[in-house]
Amino acid sequence: MGAFNRTTLHGVIEWHISLRACMLSHTLEPSPNFILARDVKMQFPVVKRYRELLLHPTRPRRVVTALKSISLQIEKGERIALLGPNGAGKTTLLKLIGGLLLPSEGEIVVNGYNTLRHNDAARKSVGFVLNEERSFFWRLTAIQNLEFFAALDNLSGKAMNDRIRELIQFVGLESHLEKAVSTYSSGMKQRLALARGLIAEPEVLILDEPTRALDPIACEELNDLIVERLHKGARKTLLIATHRLEEATRLCDKVLIINQGQIMAFDRIADLTAKGISLSEFYRLNVNRKTL
Amino acid sequence: MRFLILKAKAFIRRDFQIESSYKMNFFMTILDSMIILVFFYFLSKLVAGGESRYLSRFGGNFLSFSVIGLAFARYFQLTLRMFSESIRAAQLSGCLEAMLSSQTGAVTIVLMSSLYGLISGAAQPLLILVAGVLVMGVDLSHMDVLATLLVLAFSILTFVAFGVLSAATILCLKKGDPLAWILGGMGTMLGGAYFPIDVLPQWLQQVSFLIPITYSLEALRLTMLRGYTLEMVARPLLILAAMAAILLPGSLALFAAMVRKGRIEGTLMQY
Repeated sequence: MGAFNRTTLHGVIEWHISLRACMLSHTLEPSPNFILARDVKMQFPVVKRYRELLLHPTRPRRVVTALKSISLQIEKGERIALLGPNGAGKTTLLKLIGGLLLPSEGEIVVNGYNTLRHNDAARKSVGFVLNEERSFFWRLTAIQNLEFFAALDNLSGKAMNDRIRELIQFVGLESHLEKAVSTYSSGMKQRLALARGLIAEPEVLILDEPTRALDPIACEELNDLIVERLHKGARKTLLIATHRLEEATRLCDKVLIINQGQIMAFDRIADLTAKGISLSEFYRLNVNRKTL
Repeated sequence: MRFLILKAKAFIRRDFQIESSYKMNFFMTILDSMIILVFFYFLSKLVAGGESRYLSRFGGNFLSFSVIGLAFARYFQLTLRMFSESIRAAQLSGCLEAMLSSQTGAVTIVLMSSLYGLISGAAQPLLILVAGVLVMGVDLSHMDVLATLLVLAFSILTFVAFGVLSAATILCLKKGDPLAWILGGMGTMLGGAYFPIDVLPQWLQQVSFLIPITYSLEALRLTMLRGYTLEMVARPLLILAAMAAILLPGSLALFAAMVRKGRIEGTLMQY
């Protein structure tokens, strides 16, 4: 009887532990990786034309495959440059990691949260610096814009004001605080976008072609800002899509080359340098390599 | 809850700041309402000295009838359009993606983006009523305030539900929302905004009973012009309450589903 009780008790405890593990697995994935992509496929449906609608109303819509079975692991604090030709799938991958898009197949886990099941929780870890200049309310000032976006990130009162003041100083826009965003140059808007991306103090910062519309000086200034403040300060996980190889070398420690929706290479820049391969050579080699 | 209130304040402040940067817009909107009011004032002179047998149920005066219709039909239409317009404006301005990448959900964003419009839009019916009473002699002395406020509240909730449905449609179709057309333009004609539905052919009257504005305007006219109490407008009030109770959670669920579909298909930011 006593043995039976011990066995039963042991069983109950085991059951309890496995149930708890099962419950936890819905939120916390048992993975050491900070960002994890498993067999991610992204397909965009093509809008039917009138002719197709009339002749084949029941036929499924055609799809464009933007990403084909991507698997990826990123450790906390890593700085990754995403390289690839236009239309390769860089922005799609970044938007998937940022939770703005959801994968057609596969899954993405950010800081333990699956973006399909716990999109809101996954987004909390990510700050997104969009390359779209028009992503601000142009008739509002920089401070009004930041106050609005800070409220969306659950900041308020003194904490919000302190954070905004700190970020404005960080991106060097103190003297332009009260000016409408419509009067800003592209470089200033990009700095403001960086400030917005950092408002909620995210652990991952995603920058989608941050220097795309910038002149060489503004580009250098923004890169200086990232190196000086983000590298040497809080070591955040950085994901930067760029076409500038010198920017990738300067800002990141790993490169991920994408072409036609597939990962062609994912290596440490230091390893390439040690092997005597330049990033330009490595890029050309992988982009010209035939995809499967 | 605290964060929701703070976010609501942030949306209202943002829209007020943007709106006040367009100095003339508010005054032009008010002027527009006043011009239409004057138009109906003169039109009422043509309708048998302002009296008509079709209007006996509502006190018999065309001007009073049309002032209520003008004030509230425009506000309900605004409520209907507000949600889809705020989404489209955010898509066009490029700010939707930035808002969606924040820690606020899409449903909260769309609901709160319309708050300022709903509040500031209420100035229009209020001014039309004040001008109607003070300048044109519309008699609202019999109004049952409680019944009027309740009818108004349920009407707004119903139109909010249809507005969210319309926003879900816009996420799918991008432009050319049939719901806004049916309930907005057609609703004004069939719902008796400017003339009683009794003048319509029988079969069109049947159609008008499917439209929420018919119940809203009828109940508002009866409570405001004839002093009908809650019990006396129980039928339209219950129909509006039932519509709101069914449609509001349904429309919010559909909108959330459309946002998810847009995220999967990558069409959320397209316009």
